[in-house]
Amino acid sequence: MLMPPFTLHHPSNVEQACEIAKQLLEDGQQFDWVAGGTDLIPNYKWHINTKPHVISLAKIEGTNVISATEIGCMARLSDLTIANGAHPLIAEAASKVASSLIRKNATMGGNLCLDTRCFWYNQGEDWRRSIDWCHKADCGSGADCRVIPNQNTLCVATYQGDLAPNLMVLEAVVHIVGPSGQRQVSIGDFYQLDGKKKNVLEAGEFLLKVTLPKQSQQRIGCYQKLRVRDSWDFPEAGVAASWIAGDEKSLLIASTALESIPKMHDEQVSEALAAGWNGADSVKSLSVAIQKSINPVNNTTLTPRYRKKMVRVLAKRAIEGFLQ
Amino acid sequence: MSGGYKQQPGGGGNITRKDGKRVAGKQSFPPPGSGGSRPQMAKRDLQFIPETVGGREKQPAGAHVHDRIRTGTTVGKSMKLVDSNAKVTGQAWYGDDVRLPNECIAKILRSPHHYAKVISIDTSKVEALPGVLAVATGQDSLNSFGVLPVTKDEHAMAVDKVRHVGDLVACVAAVDEATALHALSLFEVEYEELEPVFDPKKGLEDADEPIHWRGKYHLGKTNVQKRVFQEFGDRSLIDKPSASNHNKWTMKGVHHGFTEPHAVVAHWDPNGRLQLYTPSQVPHYTHRALSTVLSVPMHQINVIRTFVGGGFGGKSDPFPHEMCAALLSRKCGRPVRITFDREEVYMINRGRHPSHIEVKMSADKEARITGFDIDALIDGGGFASFGHVTSYYNGVLATAPYELGSFHYTGARVWTNKPASGAMRGHGAVNTRCAVEVGLDQMAEDLSVDPIDLRLANLLPPHSRTISGFRITSNGMREALERVREGSDWDNKFRQLPLGKGIGIGCGFFISGSGLPIHWDPNKFPHATVHIQVDMDGGVTVHSGAAEIGQGSTTAIAQVVAEVLALPIEMIHVRSHESDTSPVDLGSYSSRVTFMNANAAIRAAIEIRDKLLNAAWEMIGYHPDLLVLNDRRIYYKHDPSIGVSYLKALHKAQEDKGALISSGAYRSPPMGGIHKGAAAGLAPAYSFSAYVAETDVDIETGKIKCTNVWAAHDCGRALNPLAVKGQIIGSCHMGLGQVISEEMVYGRTGHLQNANLLEYKIPSVHEMPNVVPIIVESCDPEGPFGAKEAGEGPLLPILPAVVNSVYDAIGIRINDLPLTPDTVYFAIEKKMKAQSVDDPLELESPRLTHSAMQQVVVERAAQHKVRDIARQRSDDTSAYVNGVLFGFDPNIPLEDQVEGWRSATEPLPEQLAELGFAGKAWLKKEQRELEGDN
Repeated sequence: MLMPPFTLHHPSNVEQACEIAKQLLEDGQQFDWVAGGTDLIPNYKWHINTKPHVISLAKIEGTNVISATEIGCMARLSDLTIANGAHPLIAEAASKVASSLIRKNATMGGNLCLDTRCFWYNQGEDWRRSIDWCHKADCGSGADCRVIPNQNTLCVATYQGDLAPNLMVLEAVVHIVGPSGQRQVSIGDFYQLDGKKKNVLEAGEFLLKVTLPKQSQQRIGCYQKLRVRDSWDFPEAGVAASWIAGDEKSLLIASTALESIPKMHDEQVSEALAAGWNGADSVKSLSVAIQKSINPVNNTTLTPRYRKKMVRVLAKRAIEGFLQ
Repeated sequence: MSGGYKQQPGGGGNITRKDGKRVAGKQSFPPPGSGGSRPQMAKRDLQFIPETVGGREKQPAGAHVHDRIRTGTTVGKSMKLVDSNAKVTGQAWYGDDVRLPNECIAKILRSPHHYAKVISIDTSKVEALPGVLAVATGQDSLNSFGVLPVTKDEHAMAVDKVRHVGDLVACVAAVDEATALHALSLFEVEYEELEPVFDPKKGLEDADEPIHWRGKYHLGKTNVQKRVFQEFGDRSLIDKPSASNHNKWTMKGVHHGFTEPHAVVAHWDPNGRLQLYTPSQVPHYTHRALSTVLSVPMHQINVIRTFVGGGFGGKSDPFPHEMCAALLSRKCGRPVRITFDREEVYMINRGRHPSHIEVKMSADKEARITGFDIDALIDGGGFASFGHVTSYYNGVLATAPYELGSFHYTGARVWTNKPASGAMRGHGAVNTRCAVEVGLDQMAEDLSVDPIDLRLANLLPPHSRTISGFRITSNGMREALERVREGSDWDNKFRQLPLGKGIGIGCGFFISGSGLPIHWDPNKFPHATVHIQVDMDGGVTVHSGAAEIGQGSTTAIAQVVAEVLALPIEMIHVRSHESDTSPVDLGSYSSRVTFMNANAAIRAAIEIRDKLLNAAWEMIGYHPDLLVLNDRRIYYKHDPSIGVSYLKALHKAQEDKGALISSGAYRSPPMGGIHKGAAAGLAPAYSFSAYVAETDVDIETGKIKCTNVWAAHDCGRALNPLAVKGQIIGSCHMGLGQVISEEMVYGRTGHLQNANLLEYKIPSVHEMPNVVPIIVESCDPEGPFGAKEAGEGPLLPILPAVVNSVYDAIGIRINDLPLTPDTVYFAIEKKMKAQSVDDPLELESPRLTHSAMQQVVVERAAQHKVRDIARQRSDDTSAYVNGVLFGFDPNIPLEDQVEGWRSATEPLPEQLAELGFAGKAWLKKEQRELEGDN
């Protein structure tokens, strides 16, 4: 496979990065951000939505910070897995991403901004041409969605990142920076329901870091990941849960790899709490409620019917993971 | 270190490091026979010299014809492969490592349609692109080719039709890859789309436009490429069974998943000869096909086999891209290189056939297996490839290791608009074997007997004839079963483990070399030929056409030559890369290489040995019968001080003729039946294997994890135990992939959805069980030093062993492979519904209470064990005929004893109505018969 040609920019600080982005925007040039490259580069090799410019975050100072309250966008997943201050739940989740080789390069920022995936989309160019393209990468054809035909308004590609639900249950805040300055959103609000848009990043903006509230350190959690092989594979479903030990009101649950965005399950948790928390039975009914709240589609390895069924098991195991 | 010399010049002085280890490339290498760091000859290694010729190597299976040439040098010793240094240092040159001066890069234009007529191809814009050097289309060679001479249905590129997405349409060579890729977008091709066929069951029906047309032999207007019918035995035996089962299996297609993608470099040298570099398992077929396609005589083509980065059957066919490279190179006058993307590897495929397999079996009141009824409908994809053979193998390789009362097989291979299926490790035998072994497990359950005892009571003995006429020689099936039973602690685990933990058994039977060389009459030209040349320096150059594909064939050949000549293996140099210098050889498939090439090499080495011994006789006056070869010396066996160095004997032998040259060949003995298709599955020897697998099942998610495997394989004699163990462990990994996760997924549009190594799920190290390889040595009378194959057979038992262990764990039988988590989960859910259980953790594991039948099988197994040991050791090798267990007299033709005895290769009219899926192919008539009807 031959890499399509692109111009690689190497800013050494945030200001420079924003300046390059601003300039490219003004010139009407399209570009992508790249951190570790383990997601973007394979897609480029497949000629999926390639851009003529790529801005690398690798040399931006201070973006590989790892602490209990802050993780920079360039923090390598392999560094997150070793005990160096990151929350144990984040270390656990990072250790379950892809393979050890990929974790050496892959980053926190890249994982949060992972492109959504779909087996009609993650294919070589000839393959996609032979199905007349798809909505997500229509190559100017205005092609229909191949997963749910006769609708070309929404992309239903699946978000298959592992870190997002875990950061959600630790109440992380995403720091975004761009030519028009910095802003913060809670990670729950970072994602936007469309497989093409994916998140709230506007043109020229990138994810600089996430911060975690101090009280997140009191939280203990568990992440359950469903995959066919215990290495390499993206999650087919994933559920993260955390609480402050003994305080069921602090329970937070989030899921991933089931829809186009990772999802908090506050509503189902509140209902379970409202019904009166009584341990195992509550866990069971809460797991069922979470299962009912999600709607996977047929675009990953395992069938949506099965993935939906497994949400209940994963949720149960995630909660039991720290209840016991 | 006086008198010795080094492998590399320079350095001098110390040749050992301070830690005492030897320095790579600086080893002392004493002149043969004397001097150097080893001034005295090494002692004979009696542990590796058989008892019958005075050594201490035990021979439980009796003496072997090669015992007298054993020297204790290499055979039976674990050693690294002779090409391993090149591989681990990155110096092995694989297909894409070949770089010739002035080379250019070619890319292939592939079909975007499943099935279409190619109306026109306009190449004018491509040719006008600067940097484009040559363009070729199907019109550049209209000659068809194929791996089997009976089914040549491929072309270099589409001549009239494209038959699957990814089929070759045109190709272009350019100065670099980017230009070639750009050029692909400039082809203007007009297609007329045709109705594609994806479902093999549909392939049995008449079509408007069959994918290929076989003229007067075409079956109706169907897409059936090959149909098979075989029936042997007494069909009345299956009436009133004491147990029977009928299972319908769906097995997905799987791919070899070799590491190295296909790559080829073609170059027409200044003399106008084609030099073609390709990582091929079977360079000779490529050689033949190139000659046909290019209309160039074979002697004007040199096929150079590069190192092969894994083949497993997937690099056995001559491939169209090899033709493309040759055509483009001829046009542009420069070397042309083509390297595939992984996606293209899946497009050319040749993996295991997606299959629908039905197996019916029955046992009588004495737990004898009265019948196997097998129906195999296999999905061939767009081309024939090895399919003609696969169609047979799916049935006939189930006729052993058990003694059968009757055997009935219908098979059909259909063309569909998908990448072509072909040969893959365990060719044709794997899927049916899985179905049969799982059926036996179920039958043991129904009879309430132990499944291992059931098998032990129904085995064919050594030196037997299967129901379809295969000649079995050595047979280590019983020992393999006994050893895995003991190793796994089976008797304390089977049907006794807690819910979610299971143990299962599976057996295997495979050919050790195909008895028929498909391109010629075995009586007129041997299967394998090996040449040996020994010059003044004493180094031994062995020329062989055997294709080293990582399985260790080069090492095996070097080992046997070293053994016969009593030389260190470093003195044996095997040359097997070029067709110019290699004798014609059929290459690495059908697990033939060790058996056939090593036999040929032994014959050639014996010729050299005899010349050396005769020279020594002249020099020291003792007859060769009284001489011993050991470590570069030949000496009088009663007084080792009377002797001569190897080099001196060699020089004496060379006095009048220069270098010693010899040639050895192997041909299989006449064997087999005379019925149509009798040659399919016929082999000079067969391997046997038995595996026990232990598996954990996550009952809530359906995810299975095979934790332990005890893997016993009868390879006759392990020439290199390390290599055999590697093959066993590797086979477990590959077979496990087919059971738990690997499948070629074709989506609702008929496209292959997972043509990449992320979505095509080869098990990772985490999925790999702890494998305990157990080598069984039945010492094959015709094998080289007793050896048989170990490359393919070991794959077969892992599938049924795991499937059976899943049953033991949770009591569900699934007849769909792979057992992906969702498949297993929904089977569990179904069982929960059936048993009205809410929580899967409340399900019950199957348990076993032996019936009275258990005693019957145990007693018979004990009797048969005595029989088998006697037969193994007996000099009388006349065959035990399948059927004796059912009371037949082996000395009277069976059809004369039983009225119902049948031996047929076509169904009776009254049978047509009750045939299975594949059997439906027999409802159709060939065109020539239809013409007759008109």
